Amino acid sequence: MTPETAEDLPLSGFTVLELGEGVSAPYCGKLLADYGADVIKIEPLEGDPARRHGPFPDDPTGAGLPHSEKSALFLYLNTNKKGITLDFSTASGARLLRRLVEEVDVLVENQPPGRLEKLGLSYQELARLNPRLLMISVKAFGEGPYGRWKATNLTSFASGGQMYLTGDPDREPLVNGGYQAEYQAGLNAFAATLAALLGLAVMEVGQHVEVSAMECQACVLENYLPDYAYRRSNALGRRRGNVNSPLIRLSPPPPVGVLTLEEALASPQMRARRYFQEVDHPVAGRWVYPGPPFRLTDGSLSDGGWGWRAGRAPLLGEHNEQVLGGLLDLERSDLVRLRAAGVV
Amino acid sequence: MYRLPLSGIRVLDLTTAWAGPYASRLLGDMGAEVIKIESVKDWDVTRSLHPLGQDVEKGYNRSSYFNHLNRNKLGCALDLSHPQGRELFLKLVALSDAVMEDCHGGVMDGPGLSYDVLRQARPDIILVSISAHGKDGPEAGHVASGSHVEQLAGLVSLTGYPDRGPHESGISYGDPVAGISAAAALCAALLYRRRTGRGRWVEVAQRESMASLIGEFFVGFSMNGRQPPLLGNRHRSMAPHGCYPCAGPPEAGWLAIAVASDDEFAALCRVMGRAELAADPRFADVVSRYRHQDELDEAISAWTRGKTPQEATLALQGAGLPASPVASVADLMEDPHLRERDFFEKTAHAEAGVWEIDGVPWRLSLTPAHVRLNAPCFGEHNDYVLRHLLGLSAEEVAGLEREGVAGGEPDEFAHT
Repeated sequence: MTPETAEDLPLSGFTVLELGEGVSAPYCGKLLADYGADVIKIEPLEGDPARRHGPFPDDPTGAGLPHSEKSALFLYLNTNKKGITLDFSTASGARLLRRLVEEVDVLVENQPPGRLEKLGLSYQELARLNPRLLMISVKAFGEGPYGRWKATNLTSFASGGQMYLTGDPDREPLVNGGYQAEYQAGLNAFAATLAALLGLAVMEVGQHVEVSAMECQACVLENYLPDYAYRRSNALGRRRGNVNSPLIRLSPPPPVGVLTLEEALASPQMRARRYFQEVDHPVAGRWVYPGPPFRLTDGSLSDGGWGWRAGRAPLLGEHNEQVLGGLLDLERSDLVRLRAAGVV
Repeated sequence: MYRLPLSGIRVLDLTTAWAGPYASRLLGDMGAEVIKIESVKDWDVTRSLHPLGQDVEKGYNRSSYFNHLNRNKLGCALDLSHPQGRELFLKLVALSDAVMEDCHGGVMDGPGLSYDVLRQARPDIILVSISAHGKDGPEAGHVASGSHVEQLAGLVSLTGYPDRGPHESGISYGDPVAGISAAAALCAALLYRRRTGRGRWVEVAQRESMASLIGEFFVGFSMNGRQPPLLGNRHRSMAPHGCYPCAGPPEAGWLAIAVASDDEFAALCRVMGRAELAADPRFADVVSRYRHQDELDEAISAWTRGKTPQEATLALQGAGLPASPVASVADLMEDPHLRERDFFEKTAHAEAGVWEIDGVPWRLSLTPAHVRLNAPCFGEHNDYVLRHLLGLSAEEVAGLEREGVAGGEPDEFAHT
């Protein structure tokens, strides 16, 4: 792959502000950044909670000890972003956030329901500052009767209908590995953001885009939901263990079985396509990261770029000076004052 | 009336089954004019996949699965393997923005419909190719379904009851993941084209889009070389964290609860009327709770068995705790939250009757999307495509039908 210049990536020229924590909105922000957008991630002063979740590299004793710059979850979900710390629950912090909103095309957030509204940072208020703003809210439920409910990946997977279908018939329903409810919401939010960016040229004004993890899952319950909607029979929609849908009878058996992480990393197919790539990080070190979920090519698979870039996650507050000083034109002495006041 | 974000974008969709059609459904939802192209002898297999479709007349127009995945699209029957069909298709390409295909080494390459050929018909065309493994590499020719995809990507090795081994998803998960990725990919290519004037060949390998959703595990494995153990419904750092049986018939009631902090655990104990558990040294902090999860799960199950999932959820959410019923399809279709949001939309299909369909998962405030068009009956929009877009005469269309190049009825023996 020939490395592409930043201007040649599909999302070059777009600027994004991310108020994302954990998995869903950060995955959306990561994909926007990997495909070329300039993404500024705002973290609370203590950092995105993902920084506290492993896995972590082993220390000499063989234990993976927590370190805020070495979380695989954070490192993976925040590639190619600029990182600033900002406590926007303070008046000074909220003011800075408003100024940043004036400079960007997109704001992606998965803040707890109601938090931004309480701080005077609702879509309506932000759109007054920037009428072309696209605000993408990634939520477990979205506005409505469950709008203020709390959720984690597990409870969200249960709410969306996928957990009920996963597992053995004689056992309790089973959650998928990792954070699949949150990743699905993040992937949908990414696609919705791109569609809304295309719509911006049509409408000339921005809008608020809400993605509910519950609805994202309910749309992809295979033929189970449509069948129920037609016949009002739940006969198909139940746990079947390790036997998938009727579709599978149409396919020959898989070329190989269940691959472990190690086998997937070593698979001749993934290697031939150079899917996994090493990325260096000044504190965490050089590790292997998955590549793009899709490739944009000029017609040749092996040559030319993929419309995508490998890159690393930011250190906590790494770009405070660059973003607040550069984009917002604050002086060094202003930054010192903001730091002293606990805003950045 | 407002214009949807993708209005004015024409997409020729050659995909079948789930992944590709879900991508084009999302694009259709967003306003693209999606023309689904099937042929008399090679039509979308999901038309045959529904019990109602087996023994009724024209069952291929009454598959709930097909009709669910192909709403907001037009349908045309055209045989691309026939020289005349190929020629007409290339004329359509000249009038279109994008082509989507998921052909397994088949029709796209066979009659020479490569990206280069499409580009000659329209220099800035976008081609989206969806495949299980990718278009190059030693396994490119292998067949795989969505379920195989998650096995090969590594997800299945991370899912499962600890005592029973790896477990696949309850749905053919690799398909919708590739579908959503492909919809995003096409939008990315359109944004690229808008800025540069250049088309792209977009490639979605299902294994790769799937592996992207477990990325932290690959980074973690490269850090420490360890395959994480199967945890069932448990979590590495939260306890309790599980799925609990509720009152009622066994299949009616399960409840998911996740507790992240000491405060949340204390709240859980209060709701259960077991405040003393929060002070029990076995459960006093997250480490102790993690070590004594079996006892903890027993205590929680004793409480949940006396409640319905909805009662328990309301009590726990009232105390600020993440909890949810494990919703079945029937639960979802009655769900008060989804109902309040008008998530389900009623449709009246000419042949399949009136029923409800899940709505659009991307809620755009200014340009809300809805089910505008029912899924096409086989060949329903032949006239629009062949006569209106391509300018053929009625006689010419009749000639194509006699040759089997176009047609209003599929060969029902193609999928039996």
